[in-house]
Amino acid sequence: MSILEVQHLEKHFDSTKVLNDISFSLEQGQALSIIGSSGSGKTTLLRCLNFLETPDNGTISVQGEILFDAANPQTQLESEIRKKRLHFGLVFQSFNLFPQYTALQNVTLARELMAKEHGGERKEDIEAAGRELLAQMGLADRAEHYPHQLSGGQQQRVAIARALAMHPDILCFDEPTSALDPELTGEVLRVIRNLAEQKTTMIIVTHEMAFARDVADQVIFMDGGFIVEQGNPHDVIEHPKEERTRQFLARYTEN
Amino acid sequence: MFWTVTLSLLKGLSAATQLFFLTLLFALPLGLLIAFGSMSKWRPFRFLLYRQENPGRGTAWLAALRPVSALTNVVVWIIRGTPLMLQLIIIFYGPGLWFDNNIWSFGNGRMFACTVAFVINYACYFSVIYRGGIEGVPVGQREAGEVLGMTKRQIFFRITLLQMVKRVVPPMSNEIITLVKDTSLARIIAITELIKAGEAFMKSDGITWPLFYTAVYYLIFVGILTILFNLIERKLSYFK
Repeated sequence: MSILEVQHLEKHFDSTKVLNDISFSLEQGQALSIIGSSGSGKTTLLRCLNFLETPDNGTISVQGEILFDAANPQTQLESEIRKKRLHFGLVFQSFNLFPQYTALQNVTLARELMAKEHGGERKEDIEAAGRELLAQMGLADRAEHYPHQLSGGQQQRVAIARALAMHPDILCFDEPTSALDPELTGEVLRVIRNLAEQKTTMIIVTHEMAFARDVADQVIFMDGGFIVEQGNPHDVIEHPKEERTRQFLARYTEN
Repeated sequence: MFWTVTLSLLKGLSAATQLFFLTLLFALPLGLLIAFGSMSKWRPFRFLLYRQENPGRGTAWLAALRPVSALTNVVVWIIRGTPLMLQLIIIFYGPGLWFDNNIWSFGNGRMFACTVAFVINYACYFSVIYRGGIEGVPVGQREAGEVLGMTKRQIFFRITLLQMVKRVVPPMSNEIITLVKDTSLARIIAITELIKAGEAFMKSDGITWPLFYTAVYYLIFVGILTILFNLIERKLSYFK
């Protein structure tokens, strides 16, 4: 059974249709890359999965459980959505770290709040887990630094640790390197590559074609709110069937 | 004479200080509530849109109406749009004049009425500053909290609040310094604050310097506040 099943997802902003009949599925431990030009709906799709936008149509299921059904208002209750969104993690293009907290506090805050609400984990355990995650990101010595004291690449790695701390089933990346200087993209891509090797289930929206091809088990090319082509990365990126995919990729090889 | 005046002005200062702190104590939280009111997105008539394919203009207007926000904004407009002096007069004399019921006739009634007027007035000004501070925090901060499963309350208190406070310290310090000097308006309902205390010597002893001497009190008061605000700004400079 697929871990994630998205069916007939649609989203309008006023009269503009941003997502059109989006359907795909993702297996446990696989990485999915979504490519396409700006405005093709990639980011909106990720935002829908994380319940930052409410789709107008379609369903989202995780491990067979329907989390969201546009036709069923019961699935859209505020209190329910809070729990459901924890199936997903999201790493933002612009990091969105909390500036008043240290790297470690950024990673542990949500878990600590959760523990306070429901009991359970001890503060020391959460903190130890947070340090462990930061170490995994190569940031063991930056735990007590505030975001403004870190480089863009380091900030993004803290953001990845923060998302991982909640143990999401599926980790989403929204153009994780687009806000970074070119020399800093490598360290972030390396971390994501490691996660892929550890069989983390991921969805990565990216403009890094070579990275998408190497890391992903599946690639989706989107254009104008539609999925134009999907398949394994070598087929889609190296031997695209659709004309629009070819045009899009040609622009990349030119640069 | 100098000591007599100094002591008399100290009494005036005590009234002014009392008004100052009471106003802050109540207006700072009330201002935040008003800010939430003015940002309220509650649209109780939105359901009208679901029933109709092509809503008329009236229906569309009603559906878009945010009554809490609209009402709050009207109140803020009235309070910011009229002089504090007039509000003082209305609040203190109004009940006696129009309803034949002077609700302020108890012991500290004048000060009480004065505090009420000041709190309402300043809360409205504070609310606008707060709103600016809250809206200045990038949406990404709230969204980051949401995807981590935090509640709205947690997001406000753990993420937005401190970033807002950092943003509002400079405009707040302006407003609070103005409040120090606005306490002199209390004399309009016969509270002996600094200016009234200083002016009294013109009538009783025919000397004017006590009136100008009051400036020293204001300057020291504001001087201390300025140091305090700088301290707060420095305390919050650990993040950007």
